[in-house]
Amino acid sequence: MSTVTERVPGPGSESSRGVPVRELLQRHGALLVLAVVLVAAGVGLDGFLTAGNLNHVAVGSAFLAILALGMTFVIVTGGIDLSVGTNFALGGVLAAWASQYGSLAALALPLAVCGAIGLLNGVLIARARLAPFITTLATMLGAWGLMLSVSDEGNTTYLVPDGAVLTSLVHGRLFGVIGYPLLLVLVLFVIGGIALSRTGWGQNVYAVGGDERSAALMGVPVARTKTAVYTVSGLCAGAAGVLNAFWLGSGVTIFGIGIELQAISAVVIGGTLLSGGYGFVSGSFVGVMLLAVIQNIINTISGLTSAFQEVVSGVFLIVVVLAQSRLSRSRPRA
Amino acid sequence: MQHDPQETEPRRPRPALAAAAAAAAVLLAVTACARTEEDASEDDGGGGGGEGQEQVLDEAAAGDETCTLDEYGGEGFDLTDVRVGFSQSEAESNPFRITETQSIVDEAEERGVDLITSNAQSDFAQQINDVQDLMSQGAEVLIIAPLNSDGWKPVLDEAAAEDIPIITVDRAINGTACEDFVTFIGSDFVEQGRRAADQMIDALDGEGEVAVLLGAAGNNVTTERTEGFQERIEAEAPGIEIVFEQSGDFTREGGQSVTEQLVQSEPDIDGIYAQNDEMGIGAVTALNGAGKESGEVSIVTVDGTEEAVQHIVDGWIHGVVESNPRFGPLAFEAAESFGAGEEVGTELIITDRAYDPSNAEEELPHAY
Repeated sequence: MSTVTERVPGPGSESSRGVPVRELLQRHGALLVLAVVLVAAGVGLDGFLTAGNLNHVAVGSAFLAILALGMTFVIVTGGIDLSVGTNFALGGVLAAWASQYGSLAALALPLAVCGAIGLLNGVLIARARLAPFITTLATMLGAWGLMLSVSDEGNTTYLVPDGAVLTSLVHGRLFGVIGYPLLLVLVLFVIGGIALSRTGWGQNVYAVGGDERSAALMGVPVARTKTAVYTVSGLCAGAAGVLNAFWLGSGVTIFGIGIELQAISAVVIGGTLLSGGYGFVSGSFVGVMLLAVIQNIINTISGLTSAFQEVVSGVFLIVVVLAQSRLSRSRPRA
Repeated sequence: MQHDPQETEPRRPRPALAAAAAAAAVLLAVTACARTEEDASEDDGGGGGGEGQEQVLDEAAAGDETCTLDEYGGEGFDLTDVRVGFSQSEAESNPFRITETQSIVDEAEERGVDLITSNAQSDFAQQINDVQDLMSQGAEVLIIAPLNSDGWKPVLDEAAAEDIPIITVDRAINGTACEDFVTFIGSDFVEQGRRAADQMIDALDGEGEVAVLLGAAGNNVTTERTEGFQERIEAEAPGIEIVFEQSGDFTREGGQSVTEQLVQSEPDIDGIYAQNDEMGIGAVTALNGAGKESGEVSIVTVDGTEEAVQHIVDGWIHGVVESNPRFGPLAFEAAESFGAGEEVGTELIITDRAYDPSNAEEELPHAY
């Protein structure tokens, strides 16, 4: 049985000699596919590789990317967070409602509420030892109910007042090309990447996902780590909700159901194992972009209905999960 | 940077179970979507029949305001030279949607217009992306059937920056006419609600308890069909009481499950007002399942699909107020006049017919 520290990825890891192909595939498979798809679409489709199109693909998936970032931490601990979709919807409605009191309120309220829901998930899962699937399913319903009660059963759509500070930020573009939401996503992913791969906290996250009991024996604060990842996931959902409210200019109430499954797909496509202990945030970003690009391409090819996107994403997911199970099975055990 | 060690723990049961369950959930969602698409293509043969009645404008109901190219901005165009993008909101398992899309596609073909289409499958995020994709693909005129009335800021901003005229059909986009969009073409939903109320009053002789199956929240159709119904009931039939209101989301399954709850809580309900046919048909299934006889509960619905009108003939539904989905001719006519620099009304309201037991059988061929 290996020790915990050994399974934590690190730059100096002994096994980096002659990195096996399967390892590269697991890590960069999605990136490879994304590159192939981008090149093929760039050659085959007019107007695909324009700055405008790529920017709107990226900005349009910024919300999903932020959800996937939080989801990555949760999945690396071996858990799952089904509540992010409705939590995201709730965050958006709260942000739009609070925007009448200024941008700061619109930022603070959703982060507080969604973070609290994440914290509740964490406490129930880590302290009360409930199953993540059921716990987050319950809070998913709870967040949806809360959203409905705030918005009068979805009948009231709160509008973001014109001229809010955050609106101009969210709709702004750096050098007139790159939308600020994309920049925000990149910054969050860099922070998330550093937190997961370069900090003690990140090592704890891997350790908990790798083998909870060994981690506990090694003195890893298992419960605290788990509580933290679900809280982070809730905060991410809140942040995505705020961004979305200011992007759309209103607290749209028919949003978010099912988006948690897209976030999970993106994380898995990005190479993170659903069984925990292995994964990286950069992969999740690639996974999100891959899903968004596929959707964009399918929309561009006339004659294909957008329902095909679900089919393609589904097939893709199966291929990835199959490949992952093959790859992990062929890995020699120490 | 990171590197995973060579060995992997054999998966412990609990996370693996969660993983399998999550994967199953994802797959379920995926297959559900795939099925919707199949259904749509299966239904396609039946919907959008050529016998349908073309939409007719109701001059009296339309607003006075107009919009011209000069006011909106942009250059004039000839419809046959530009690319038109159409964004459909809901999956085409609903006959209203099949007929609507088919009408737009047919009209484009007839006029030789280059049309590109997309369908958001009831996913609002998807619809925003869809419309932006249509613009990326060079659509110079947009026809949008919006899923939701609010939340269009990114699309409206982008269209305004490129002076792309937007025509919204069946549901409205909340914004300023002739600034955010050129025109809205649709029915007078308040009037539809009033006419549904008239049919209900007629069916119940002005006495009884009524349930309302509301449409999806967040769009003008639901609120206006509710408003018109309540207003007319209060004014004309004080003996009728609305005792139950719940959303069936404009879907058959929604209508069925809400009605199942209804017959539990209000077993002696006299009438059901379903805000579209799909929910009304779902209600029929639920009542049938609960052992009710046809005609025992008077159902009034809105839309005018073939299946609903057939239910009038069979006695299950009392009346259907039409909401004509054949937007193709009017939408392209509006786009053509607008491109030629003429005035276009910012609110084009169509006239709708109604089906009841007296005309259902002979009018059945006109239903879609």
